[in-house]
Amino acid sequence: MIRFDHVNKVYPNGLKAVCDLSLEIEEGETLVLLGTSGSGKTTSMKMVNRLIEPTEGRILIEDIDIMEQNPIELRRKIGYAIQHIGLFPHMTVTENIAVVPKLLKWSGDKINERIDELLSLVGLEPEQFRFRYPAQLSGGQRQRIGVARALAADPPIVLMDEPFGALDPITREQLQNEFIELETEIKKTIIFVTHDVFEAVKMGDRIALLDAGVLQQLATPVELVENPANEFVDQFLGQHRFQLSLLTRTLKTIMPETKQTAFTSEGPVPSQHLRANNSLIEALDLFKKSCKATLPVYQKGLFIGNLQKTELLKAITGILGETGGTT
Amino acid sequence: MSTLISFLQKLGPEILSRSYEHVYLVFLSMTVAVLIALPLGIYLSKSKHLKLVSIIMGLAGIIQTVPSLALIAFIVVIFAIISLPTIGTIPAMVALVLYALLPILRNTYTGIRQVDESVIEVATGMGMKPMQILFSIELPLSLPVIMTGIRISTVWTIGVATLCALIGAGGLGDLIIKGLRSIQIDYLLAGTIPAAILAIIFDWILGLVEKWLTPEGLSGEVES
Repeated sequence: MIRFDHVNKVYPNGLKAVCDLSLEIEEGETLVLLGTSGSGKTTSMKMVNRLIEPTEGRILIEDIDIMEQNPIELRRKIGYAIQHIGLFPHMTVTENIAVVPKLLKWSGDKINERIDELLSLVGLEPEQFRFRYPAQLSGGQRQRIGVARALAADPPIVLMDEPFGALDPITREQLQNEFIELETEIKKTIIFVTHDVFEAVKMGDRIALLDAGVLQQLATPVELVENPANEFVDQFLGQHRFQLSLLTRTLKTIMPETKQTAFTSEGPVPSQHLRANNSLIEALDLFKKSCKATLPVYQKGLFIGNLQKTELLKAITGILGETGGTT
Repeated sequence: MSTLISFLQKLGPEILSRSYEHVYLVFLSMTVAVLIALPLGIYLSKSKHLKLVSIIMGLAGIIQTVPSLALIAFIVVIFAIISLPTIGTIPAMVALVLYALLPILRNTYTGIRQVDESVIEVATGMGMKPMQILFSIELPLSLPVIMTGIRISTVWTIGVATLCALIGAGGLGDLIIKGLRSIQIDYLLAGTIPAAILAIIFDWILGLVEKWLTPEGLSGEVES
């Protein structure tokens, strides 16, 4: 668990980057720090591994003040992935990933084993990529290696500074989806910095929206979109409200509850089905792909009812009215 | 053809021994220059005192603007005043080292400064110590730039070293001066051509060293 306790950061030039930030990050949670540039999101993240040190207040990891720990040892226990190059251009994929394990004096065999494991985890064939240099990789492959490197020594905490920021939209979405899947496997505490509200909603268990160094709202994506805490949050979501609602609202919220017990056992689950925790966007996509007017909805493997496309569209129109969406 | 043979018969041994002196002088001076300029360049690139950096860089730059003949003369005069040997290898080496410093110093400094900040930051964030960052990140990444400085410096030094014959340090300059005094073109050529060839050979060897030392991922020859 990571705890920010009334943390302030004032730069020598008098700029107040972070003002009185207090929040807790649960173990295994992905917390997104969201904000525009200059909002203090990156500064807040970099204070966790002491790349930047707080002016006032404390940051505790597992109830130990990070300022009382050796910064070198602290950093080796925290994974770190950033946008831009980040990979060492003069080192192969293997050497890049092996940096922290080597600093921690792992044995050669253990390191090699770990590298193969990580490459498979991020979807790159070890045989093919082990000895490549960053210059021989595509942008997406580089970011995958960046993620693998951050996970190399199996740190309980991972800091990610817009790790998918420099990618084209298609690769970015692919990597986001892969990362969400990977996250459920690895169970890390992740602090994820982004300025992209869609990415935040997608990646975060909770989102901390910052502006000018002040925490505006700390909430789950659904709460943030449905109940903005103040005018700033409302404005920040702005014209994206409609799309965000489609992303955050699940089918469960629009399904009629009555039929739940009627057909509990229906044999095997058909290949084309919706899940109750699918977002409205995902449901719409599946309707489009399957070209069907009605699809069955399942929750935890149990059939809970059929959803008609018209019902879904009606719900979406309803949201459009609510949010005054113009898109 | 026969003139060339008789020329080599007459001057061959002298060319060889002068070339040896020349290489010896250049090699020693360059070694000392690298030993001074490389650590100093690294230190300056880390220094927060920008004033100090500009003073030292400026000083090295000024030395470079002094005509090489004048620099040698100054050193002889200064050495005479503080009663150090004014002829031979020592004053010659001092002049050559001073002259060779700037390109190495400047390239080391800029080479290390131009390493991408995000690379350094991520290395720090991963828990590398400053010395580990210097040796496994910054120096390998700036090596091509530093080596270019050393190459430039070496080629210059080979040229300037011919002047050191004036203060009795020997080398190929001896042959050139002999040719000038006796108005004999064969002596001039016997000094000039080997000096030019030496410069080419040294540049080529250092180029090989550079290639060999440059990390594979940077050479731009990696196949995609």
